[in-house]
Amino acid sequence: MRINIGTIKSNYCGFDNIANIAKQTNELFLDSVELNLSLCNFFEANMAAPLYSVVSRLRDDLNDVSIANMLAGVNKILRKNQFLTVFNQSELTDTNQTTLPFKILKLNAGDQFSDYLDTYMRGKGIPVMSEGLAKRFRQSLFEIFLNASIHSDSKSGVFVCGQFYPQKHRMDFTIADAGIGIRENVRKYTGKKKLNSCKAIEWAMTEGNTTKTGRQPGGLGLKLIKDFIHLNKGKIQIVSRYGYFEFSANGESIQKMNNDFPGTCINIEINTEDRSSYCLKSELTSEDIF
Amino acid sequence: MNDQITIKITDLIGNKLCISAEDGQKVYDKIEQLIRSEKNITISFNNVTMLISLFLNVAIGQLYGSFGEDAIRNQLKVEGLSSDDMELLKHVVDNAKKYYSNQRSYDDAWLEEDDHEE
Repeated sequence: MRINIGTIKSNYCGFDNIANIAKQTNELFLDSVELNLSLCNFFEANMAAPLYSVVSRLRDDLNDVSIANMLAGVNKILRKNQFLTVFNQSELTDTNQTTLPFKILKLNAGDQFSDYLDTYMRGKGIPVMSEGLAKRFRQSLFEIFLNASIHSDSKSGVFVCGQFYPQKHRMDFTIADAGIGIRENVRKYTGKKKLNSCKAIEWAMTEGNTTKTGRQPGGLGLKLIKDFIHLNKGKIQIVSRYGYFEFSANGESIQKMNNDFPGTCINIEINTEDRSSYCLKSELTSEDIF
Repeated sequence: MNDQITIKITDLIGNKLCISAEDGQKVYDKIEQLIRSEKNITISFNNVTMLISLFLNVAIGQLYGSFGEDAIRNQLKVEGLSSDDMELLKHVVDNAKKYYSNQRSYDDAWLEEDDHEE
């Protein structure tokens, strides 16, 4: 089967177009799929992670997936971020060192994820961020990565990649999985078998709500990230199954997508020029905390 | 009785990254046992390079499901945390107190919402 893919940007349409690939190929087993990018004029590098959610599902069903007819610019972007290595195409040296390459990590690979960030966040093209900003950014990424590990129930691991855009002073980092999605977790936890994806994302974004088993408190990670993104004037996008959530300085929105994205993907975009101090001056003691 | 015991987190979990629920559970199990034995405990976060809420929820937040606030306040201290990580811990503790004080309604808070099938 040949699937045509148009321009893919990190927005509602981009995610819905990727989910549409999943829809078109949903029934395939032991088949072959060619992703035809001849009409794709631009592919935003961080969108490699959600695209791989679809590819990994297809490969789970023993389909042979290939990618073809890329325009030179798109080919360059996807070779630089090493995404095309999963299609056995060689990588291209990222001379500017503004790319955090595409990687597939095991669910329990928190240590490897740390090594990955240590290695690639120090690329010479990536600006030195304030200590407080760099720490909050990394904390946010770990919260997302570890949440994917616990909740995704994905057989294929977690897919990560990032890109720094020097002209815009923005860095995007994307973490995707091919798991059951937020909706299934919230449905199981609340017993609401028909809860929709948008409502499930809203539930998960609410402080204190967690689907973690064992009756443990939780549900702070996403709220803390949202608070950070607000201060930083960045952006967060959460896509899970039919749900698309976006929060930025322009406001907050949640929309139902036309197609079912096979997993969960979180993209955070930070303003790297932010010089706000994230190192709080409070002098809390143990007595104040407990 | 009431000996002061220091738990060095990095030694206990063998890692400078306090990120996983499994490691959080290991820390919880140790603290829980010591509080039951009426020991005074200092949790040392010295040398920790990354700390996230997911870990703290399991390691410390979970204590509020087993012990009263007084016991925890009297027997537990922390050291080696930066001021922003102290704020994070405060957030986790406040959330845990709220969670265990009203667990059922907290869990069910959204059950009244309308649903739409996909």
